[in-house]
Amino acid sequence: MRFNDAAVGFVFILIAAAMIAMTFSFPAFPGQQYGPSLFPRIIGAGIIGCSALLIVRGFREHAAGGRWLQREDWTGVPRRVASFALMLGAMAFYVVASEPLGFIPCAFLIQLVLFLWFGVRPVTAVVVAVVMTGLVHWFFSSLMRVPLPRGVLDSVL
Amino acid sequence: MTAIATAFGLVFDPYVLAVIMGSAVFGMFVGAMPGLTATMATALLVPVTFFMSPVPALGAIVTATAMAIFAGDIPAAMLRMPGTPASAAYADESYEMTKKGQLDLCMGVNLVFSVLGGIFGVLILIVLAPVLAEVAINFSSFEYFWLACLGLTCAVFIGTGDPLKGLLSLFIGLAIGCIGIDPAAGQPRFTFGNVDLLSGINFIPTLIGMFAVSELLRGAVTMEKAGMMVQQTVGNMFAGLGAVARKYWMNFIRGSVIGTVIGALPGAGADIAAWVSYAVSKKLSKEPEKFGTGHIEGIVDSTSANNSALGGAWIPALVFGIPGDSITAIVIGVLYMKGMNPGPTVFLQTPELIYAVFIIFILANLLMFPLGWAAIKSAKQILRVPRNILLPIILIFCMVGSFAMTNSLYGVVLMVVMGLFGWLLEEHGIPVAPLILGLVLGEMLEQNFMSSMIKANGSFIGFLDRPIAGTLGVLTMLLWGGMLWKALPFGRRQPAAA
Repeated sequence: MRFNDAAVGFVFILIAAAMIAMTFSFPAFPGQQYGPSLFPRIIGAGIIGCSALLIVRGFREHAAGGRWLQREDWTGVPRRVASFALMLGAMAFYVVASEPLGFIPCAFLIQLVLFLWFGVRPVTAVVVAVVMTGLVHWFFSSLMRVPLPRGVLDSVL
Repeated sequence: MTAIATAFGLVFDPYVLAVIMGSAVFGMFVGAMPGLTATMATALLVPVTFFMSPVPALGAIVTATAMAIFAGDIPAAMLRMPGTPASAAYADESYEMTKKGQLDLCMGVNLVFSVLGGIFGVLILIVLAPVLAEVAINFSSFEYFWLACLGLTCAVFIGTGDPLKGLLSLFIGLAIGCIGIDPAAGQPRFTFGNVDLLSGINFIPTLIGMFAVSELLRGAVTMEKAGMMVQQTVGNMFAGLGAVARKYWMNFIRGSVIGTVIGALPGAGADIAAWVSYAVSKKLSKEPEKFGTGHIEGIVDSTSANNSALGGAWIPALVFGIPGDSITAIVIGVLYMKGMNPGPTVFLQTPELIYAVFIIFILANLLMFPLGWAAIKSAKQILRVPRNILLPIILIFCMVGSFAMTNSLYGVVLMVVMGLFGWLLEEHGIPVAPLILGLVLGEMLEQNFMSSMIKANGSFIGFLDRPIAGTLGVLTMLLWGGMLWKALPFGRRQPAAA
């Protein structure tokens, strides 16, 4: 999925303008013209400069027959769009559910669902999901002492 | 002398050696899998190395990347799919050799010249780094400011096909680097009252997002295309190698020199080194018409170049704290997190650490020989690991790794956001490597800029007053002028690079 360069430039100009606007609330130091706001302003100006050039380029491209939105093949295949969404969904699920459920159930579920979706045989999927969840938990939690959320298994672990 | 002895003691510790061995196998595997890059290997390793002391941490990264860059050659020759972008330059050539039945020779050349090229790059690093460090010790904030500017400019100018988008990416990285407490005055910026953002954008979840998660998103939609079956078996790789070495030893030297130099240039790494040296090889060859038909000559050049680039990239990283490629950018981020400021003072204060890096580098390249041989022999099995099992596992690693960096979900959220953002950027032809460089160097750049401003009392002339600073400054501004000319719509247009 690819928007025309002009659209990209436009978005970044907005972001940079907001960034520069925010620098006006930073305190200035008495007797100095260069405080915490100087560097972000220079960068913001740089982003605006680049974006302006991108907009010019985008319009030329459009005039030469380019599309505003170039869609790639996979966006027309529902299954692939679903694969993409599922990958993102798995991460969102972890963010939402890992605290209440705990790492082990979450990691197991995410792997199992993704394996099955991508066509791994069920038996293999379950075995690999169990083994990998165990390995990762052992390595990070026991060896590296990372406080992975325990969730529902709190009393067992 | 004692520092060298200490360094040997540090490296030849059973724990460190085990880490090196483990990361070597890991690097081989990641490099050999098409779609998983050396940078991704580093990004996935960092959360693990975070909990180690500096020597094993650096050892793991050095070894894994060296192995990955070599291992990328294996699927390039067997499947015409480069395992890492660094092997892309000669993937077609290698595959043509395979079709001609010369897979054995091709693999042998790739292995031997990768090892030799790697060692060449390290030797240059060993010779040059301490010399440069002695010069760099006299640098003040002015020199560092210009050096950082020059480095970042090179990253955009050389490292990307589209300088305008590269520059935009760099500015975005610098802007992201502004989030958090500003280094000069301690003023919170762009934090929106969020406590997590006060400490700045954590570098490693960003890295994992940009280099690994975005790759997973791309991988998810191309899952069905992955039909990888290796038919060939590799016999004696070393037959005929002597003849190649005698005929093309100049190519090896040339490739290694080009590789080291390009590696040392900020922003350009092993992949660009391979492309450039392949092109040079073709241009200077006595038989350029044979290139592309399965001719070994260009492979000698470029397979030496991409491995020597790794050593080269460490020169500016160790001496100035300015990364030579995206991998050393990660290393510098790691060093900062460990409370060590890379730069010439490290050579004075902890020389044993520098020597340890040298020793590990040589060790890794020597280790590449047997391990590479084993990897080639077992390529059939390695390449059979299906991607539909691999990608979900990598996803779990990414999430746990990001979590471990902040010990909170903030890391994971940051990783997801940056992953999606990185994916979007790359979809629009905006490279993410300059962004990472900007993020790493942003704070140093601003700190040196602000203290220079204060020292010079706000006058820009002060930035050019000192001889070295002046030279660097003029050089940087010349480069900027050239870039502006190229980027402007009415300037000379180069044909759009793919």
